[in-house]
Amino acid sequence: MKKDKMPPLGHLHMEHVLQAVGVLEAVILRSFGPEGGQVLFTRDTGQVLLSRSGTRILTALHLEHPFARMVVECVWKHSSATGDGSKTFILLLASLLRLIHAAASKGSNVSHSYSSTKAAEAATARHLADKLLAFGLKELDELIATGVVPYGGCISWEDFTVEAQTSSLTNNLCVQKLLRSFFHTRCGYTHCDFSSHLTCELLSHWNFKNQLPSFSLQLVSDYFPALHTPVSGFPVRSSRLIEGQVIHRDFATPPLKTDHQPVKAVVLTGSLQPTLLSTGDVLELGYRGRMKEERSILHFSSWMESSLQGVIAKLQTLGVCVLLSAVKQSAAVLALATQAEMCLVECVSEDELSLFSQLSGTTPIWDCSMIESEHVATLAFCRPIQLGAHRYVHVAFQDSEDRITIKPCSLIICAPGEGQIEQYACALQDAIRMLLRTWEPMLAAATTTSKSTLQSHKGASLHTDSLTEQTPYRSIAIQPIQKPGCVLSAGGLFELLLHYALLQHGHSCSVSPDLNIDASVSQLLANALLSVPQKIYSHKNTISPIQVEGPLGDGKLSLHCCREGDKLSKVSELDLGLESVSCKYQLLLAVLQCVASLLKVDAVLPTHTDQEQIKCHENKGIKMLL
Amino acid sequence: MALNGDEEDFKWEPPTEAEMKVIQARRERQDKISKLMGDYLLKGYKMLGEACEVCGTILLQDKQQKNYCVSCQELDSDIDKDNPALNAQAALSQVRERQLAAQSPAPSQAPELNDSPSSSQENMSVPQPRPEHCEGAAAGGRTPLPPPAVPPPSTPASTAALAPARPSVTPQSSAQRLVLQEAEEAVLTKLRWATNQLQSSASLEASIQLCSLINSCANSLRSLKELTQ
Repeated sequence: MKKDKMPPLGHLHMEHVLQAVGVLEAVILRSFGPEGGQVLFTRDTGQVLLSRSGTRILTALHLEHPFARMVVECVWKHSSATGDGSKTFILLLASLLRLIHAAASKGSNVSHSYSSTKAAEAATARHLADKLLAFGLKELDELIATGVVPYGGCISWEDFTVEAQTSSLTNNLCVQKLLRSFFHTRCGYTHCDFSSHLTCELLSHWNFKNQLPSFSLQLVSDYFPALHTPVSGFPVRSSRLIEGQVIHRDFATPPLKTDHQPVKAVVLTGSLQPTLLSTGDVLELGYRGRMKEERSILHFSSWMESSLQGVIAKLQTLGVCVLLSAVKQSAAVLALATQAEMCLVECVSEDELSLFSQLSGTTPIWDCSMIESEHVATLAFCRPIQLGAHRYVHVAFQDSEDRITIKPCSLIICAPGEGQIEQYACALQDAIRMLLRTWEPMLAAATTTSKSTLQSHKGASLHTDSLTEQTPYRSIAIQPIQKPGCVLSAGGLFELLLHYALLQHGHSCSVSPDLNIDASVSQLLANALLSVPQKIYSHKNTISPIQVEGPLGDGKLSLHCCREGDKLSKVSELDLGLESVSCKYQLLLAVLQCVASLLKVDAVLPTHTDQEQIKCHENKGIKMLL
Repeated sequence: MALNGDEEDFKWEPPTEAEMKVIQARRERQDKISKLMGDYLLKGYKMLGEACEVCGTILLQDKQQKNYCVSCQELDSDIDKDNPALNAQAALSQVRERQLAAQSPAPSQAPELNDSPSSSQENMSVPQPRPEHCEGAAAGGRTPLPPPAVPPPSTPASTAALAPARPSVTPQSSAQRLVLQEAEEAVLTKLRWATNQLQSSASLEASIQLCSLINSCANSLRSLKELTQ
C-alpha cells in the first residue's frame, strides 16, 4: 500500500498549483478566441456533445487533483453568475500565478522566521495575492471608469428593434450586436445572427415597461428552463417563439373538445382524492352507535368516491375545466375528471407551475375543498401541441390590465441533434445571464473595503469621502463608476486599455514612497492582463499589435491594425464585436479571489476512503489478533 | 515582512546568461508537459492528486487504472543529457572541465609539496582518483581499445611516485633515480603514441579516451618531475 508523503509546508506547493493550472490552460487554449475549435465529448452511452464553452469542457474532465478541482469550481461559480468568460478566467489565472511565482522567488529573503526559501517564497506569494485582491476591490473600478469606459459606449435597452446594419458607416451599439459577438464565440459563425435576433425578440416580448431592464432579464433568466422547449431533429432556423407557455407534459385525460373561451384552470399541488389511509393504518369497520347495518369496505370506498364527486362538482360550478397537478392523481380522479369533461395534466414540474402562477396571477391550492375564485386562472386556450416527437400542453394567458402588461412567450429551440440542442440552450441561457450582468446595478460585492462603489450605486453622489483618505492627486469623478449597459469593442481591447491604465497608475504611485507596494501590484496585474490579447492574436498570423486612437464621444471606435509586410493600413471600425465591461470587471475580481484562496492553502492532506484500504486495515487487524 | 524587507540579508541579482538558458529550457519543458497532460485529459485520462516521486509531475490515470507520468515516460529526461555515461557530449565536456580544474590547482600544489613532505602523500593521491571519476574515460578504459596498459602505467607511475615520497627528504639513491627515469620514458612514449593516435583518430569515443590517457600521462610526468626535484 503506497503511502502518500505529505509535502512539507510550502514545499512544492507553488509548483503544484502552477502545474495544475498550466494543464487546465493547455486544455482550454485550443478552444479560446473567436477562431478556437470545439471539443467533441462522447459518453459511454454513445451520446455525443459538441461544445466550445469553457465551463462545459472543464467540468467534463476527470480531475482528482485538489487544486484543479478548486479552480474548476471557481470557474463554474463564476460562469453561473456571469454566463461567460471561463476560458479567459483560466488564462488570467495562469498568467497571474506565474508572475506571482516569479516575483516571489525574486523578492523572497531567507529571513530568520522561515525555515527555508520555499516557505519564504510561499509567504511572499500569499502576501502578494492578498494585496492584489485588496487592490482589485478598492481601486480597480475607478481605473476602469477612467481608463477603459471612455473608449467604449453605452447600449440603451430599448434598442431591440434596431437592426445592426452591415454597412461600416453606421456603427450602432445595440443589444443585437453584443449578442451576436457572444454567440459567435459560443456557437460559431453560422447561426449567430439568427440566435441573436431570436433572443432579442424574446426579450422584447418580456420587456416590462415601467421596470428596470434587469427585472425582466432576471425573470427570464430564472425561468429559462420553463420558458424553452428543446426539439431535436429540426434545423436550427426552425427555432421560433410561440405565445404563452408550453407545459412539458401531455394530457392525462382527453383534451378539451370545445374550444370556448375563457378556459379556467386550477393549479393543484396535492392529490384531489384525500389520502385517508396510508400504509400501516388500520381501518376499523363496525357498528357505531345504534346502526344495525353491516359496514364493509365497499361502503367506505363509495363514501370516498362521493366525497370526490363533491369536489369535482364544486370545480365545475366555478367553471374550471383544466387541472394542472404537481403530483400524480389516482385512477378514480382520472375517471371522474374524464366524466366531467375536465382535462388533467399530471406531474408538472415545480418551476413550470411557478411560472404559470406568476403569469396568471393565481396561487396553487393544496386542498380542493377550500377552493375559491382567487385560485382559478383564466386562460385564452389550453390545447395540445406537437413538437417534434412529443406532445405537450400549450396554454396562453388572457390579457388583463390589472396584471402584468407583457405578452409572455416561449422559445422553441430546434437543432439537429441532442448535443447541439444542449449547446444552444446553454448558450442562450448564458447570453441572458451576461445581459443581466451588463445591466444590473452592481451589487456591493466589494464588501466593506470599497466605500466608493457603494456610494456610487446608492445614487449619483460623489465619492469624495472615500477619496480623501487616499492620496490627493487622484481626480474626483463626477459620474457613477459603472454605467449600466457599458460595452466595449471585443478582442482584447479591455485588457489592453486596463494594462495601460494600470501602468500609468503604477508610475504615479511610485512617486510617493508609502504606495510603493501599490506600484508593484499594479505592474504585476498589468503584465498579467497582457496574456489575454496575446493568446487571441497568436492565432492570427497577419495582424499584430493594435493601436487605439483616443476616446471618441459617440462610442465609435477606430482601430489601426498593423499588418506585417504591409504598410500601415488604416482599418477603421474593425468589426470585432462587443463585450460587456461589467462582466470583465467581475471576471477580474473572481480571478483575484481565486488566486488568493489558492495560495492560502498551506498543506494538502490526502484522505483515502476506498474499499481496498479498509480491507487492508481489517486484514491487518485480524493478523494482529492471531 | 519579506516583501519590504531587509535587503542586507540577500541581494537579488539578475540571473546570468547560463542560468537564463536553464530557466528558459525548464519553462519550455514545463509547457510541453502541460500540453501533453492537457491532451491526455481530453482523451479521458484522470488527473490524480498525487505527484510522481521521480520528477514531481502530477500523475495521470487511464481507464485501466494504470498510473502514468508524462515526463518520465514520454519526454526525454531533463537530466539524461548531463549524464556522461549516456551522452558523449557530456563526457567530452566533463573531460574538458577536469583538464581545466587539473591545470589550476597544480601550481598551488607545487609549493605545498616543498613545504610539507607529510602532506605530499595526500597530494600524490590526488592525481590518481581523477581519471576514474571521468566516467567516459572509465568506460573507455574498460573497452579493449587503445592499449590496455592505460591504467597500469599511471598506477605504477603514481605508486612509484608514492613509494619514494616518504624518503623524499633523504637524498635519493641512484637506483631510485633510474627507476624514475625509466618510468618517465615509458610515460613519454605512451604520451607520444597517444598524441599520434589522437591526430589520426576519427571516432569520438576514441578521442575522448586518448585525451584522458594524455591527461593521466601528463599528471604522472608532473609527479615524477616533482619527485626528482
